[in-house]
Amino acid sequence: MSTRKAFRQRVCEAVADERAVHLATWHKMEARAESMRQLRDPEAICELAARIKQHTLENLPRYLEQFVAQVERSGGCVHFAADADAARRIICDIAAAHGAKLAVKGKSMTSEEIHLNDALEAVGVRTVETDLGEFIVQIDHDRPSHIVTPIIHKDRRQIAQAMTRATGCAYTEDAEELTAIARRYLRDIFRRCELGITGVNFGVAESGTLCVCTNEGNGRMSSTRPRVHVALMGIEKLVPRLRDLPVFLKLLARSSTGQPLTVYTTLITGPKRADDPDGPEELHVVLLDNGRSELLAGEFAEVLRCIRCGACLNACPVYRNIGGHAYGSVYPGPIGSLVTPLLQGLDEHAELPRASSLCGACRVVCPVKIDIPGLLVRLRARTRRSQPLLKRVAMRAWKWMMKSPTRYRWAQWWLPRLLPDCRDGWFRGGPGPLGAWTRSRDLPIPPKQSFRKLWRERLSDER
Amino acid sequence: MNADQNQPRDSRARTPELPPARAAMTAFIDALRQRLRDFESRASLPQELEQTVRQVVADDDLPTRFTRAATSVGLEVHAGSPTDWMDVIADILRKHEAHSVVVQLDTDSPLGEHATAELGNRLTTDGFEPTTVVADETLFSADAAVTSVAAAIAETGTIVCPSGPDLARGASLLPPIHVAVVQTSQLVPDQCDYFDQLAGQAGLPANINLITGPSKTADIEGILVTGVHGPRHVHVVLVSP
Repeated sequence: MSTRKAFRQRVCEAVADERAVHLATWHKMEARAESMRQLRDPEAICELAARIKQHTLENLPRYLEQFVAQVERSGGCVHFAADADAARRIICDIAAAHGAKLAVKGKSMTSEEIHLNDALEAVGVRTVETDLGEFIVQIDHDRPSHIVTPIIHKDRRQIAQAMTRATGCAYTEDAEELTAIARRYLRDIFRRCELGITGVNFGVAESGTLCVCTNEGNGRMSSTRPRVHVALMGIEKLVPRLRDLPVFLKLLARSSTGQPLTVYTTLITGPKRADDPDGPEELHVVLLDNGRSELLAGEFAEVLRCIRCGACLNACPVYRNIGGHAYGSVYPGPIGSLVTPLLQGLDEHAELPRASSLCGACRVVCPVKIDIPGLLVRLRARTRRSQPLLKRVAMRAWKWMMKSPTRYRWAQWWLPRLLPDCRDGWFRGGPGPLGAWTRSRDLPIPPKQSFRKLWRERLSDER
Repeated sequence: MNADQNQPRDSRARTPELPPARAAMTAFIDALRQRLRDFESRASLPQELEQTVRQVVADDDLPTRFTRAATSVGLEVHAGSPTDWMDVIADILRKHEAHSVVVQLDTDSPLGEHATAELGNRLTTDGFEPTTVVADETLFSADAAVTSVAAAIAETGTIVCPSGPDLARGASLLPPIHVAVVQTSQLVPDQCDYFDQLAGQAGLPANINLITGPSKTADIEGILVTGVHGPRHVHVVLVSP
């Protein structure tokens, strides 16, 4: 299977050089744990957040209707996009209607999902990413590797080279200088831009308010400077009430970066009012389905609770070792291994649900209590048939062996004798399915004495 | 349930004048409702949020809580009084060698209706160049902005800057230095309090920014850098009676 091979290839390349990712994710995990400890009862807040989201999803038609009516009441315009293609068309049409040639973008994973930039560039709209990380991804023709910190995989040398190439600035590896260069470069863009595109973290049904969270101010700039603001949001982003927001805001930044709140939490209710001195004259909210509604009444509905905090990426031992690119999808990490196959089709992404050790670290950190490992297992079951015959046979044999103590004992004696070619403490190769297994998994040499033997001889009380 | 039955009739009544964009939305919602018809919602909407979510209560020493939280996210907090708050502002501006200053104090703020004019006069006397004009070029070229706030949240050290008549969004965003004047009477204990207040308001401003620190990034190798798109320094002058 070609997707399998491609996946294994990406992983092998990635494992070699993801030290930067490893360190950065550890740091974020510590910051997250520390800031969650500051809350009186973080677990109860997570429960609450999960319940509010689940309720909203289960009653989505009602809340969508209310949200749409409120956005329109506040002077905004609502568009519905059934899929990525429709969303791209709608946004390109808005750009064309205003003759816009220069667009700025705040950081938005949903816009990555629909590959918006290419579509806008194709119709002659220069589209500039303004989140520092996304800007560097764009000028270096790279792809983001983390949903919160897109250039977690890059070191400052690579960033410096990209910056010099794109802006013509003098070469510097100093983070502060690099940021200042980007600020100056993008300020000029912000003066001239005609269209601003942002994502939405939460949409409030009762008031039609859009909540956009950023640290740098890219979301504010992109929704303030241009004459037209387009907000792209998945239909699952709704919460019923304004007073639901603190429940999520207290968890979102903590889970992402360990901050108590993002620097800018922007609440947008309609376009600029007549007597406001600045702000966009038009607000277009594009509500994107793109496979989400298919999940609503099914066994995977809870993935739609996701608030894209990125905590499961940072916690995942697989992500930490292979980085985001190896997943080959817009949404990497544990949640990406669910969202990508579920939204874009299991056939092209059959390997993703298997890119997990099911250790459960993602479930522990998820602020909306998505049972990621449980759902991954259920998703794996759906791709059982597409697994290679040898593997299926081997798994059946494994199951048969594990079901009986006698067979287990027997296997324990035989297996070490079947495992050839042992160098530096690891087995490689082996006949048939065993060889396939050890090709992509580390298998250590079993200790001289089995646990069963130790138990019998020394540990058991009945001795 | 009532809302469920009423609203579709509503939207059907409006259908003839709907632009194509809106029609697609309505059709989708109707189809979704049809699909979820037999699906029974199990999760009820939690009503009692506050006792779980609230971190700070009104009895706490709010100015101290606010100052501690604000300082930890990188805001620079200065104490002021009704008589010396303008001196404090002038000192901050002098320290940064700011010259052109956008002044934008809400007439509804506890500082009083004429605060903008008073501060303007004072800054002119001190040799600064204050302006209330918020044209693009002014905001892009100003050295600093002084604004009022609608509220401040003690829990997180957050200042709240809404848009409104004479309140430009760009003031707290474009100049490299932002000085916010906060009255201790404007402090609310917790985010819950602020959002309850908002929910009770008749109409919301088009834009509200909850600001918790100077503009910052850690995108380059996790190194913290301030002043990405927004101000690099955010000062809070906390005025107690």
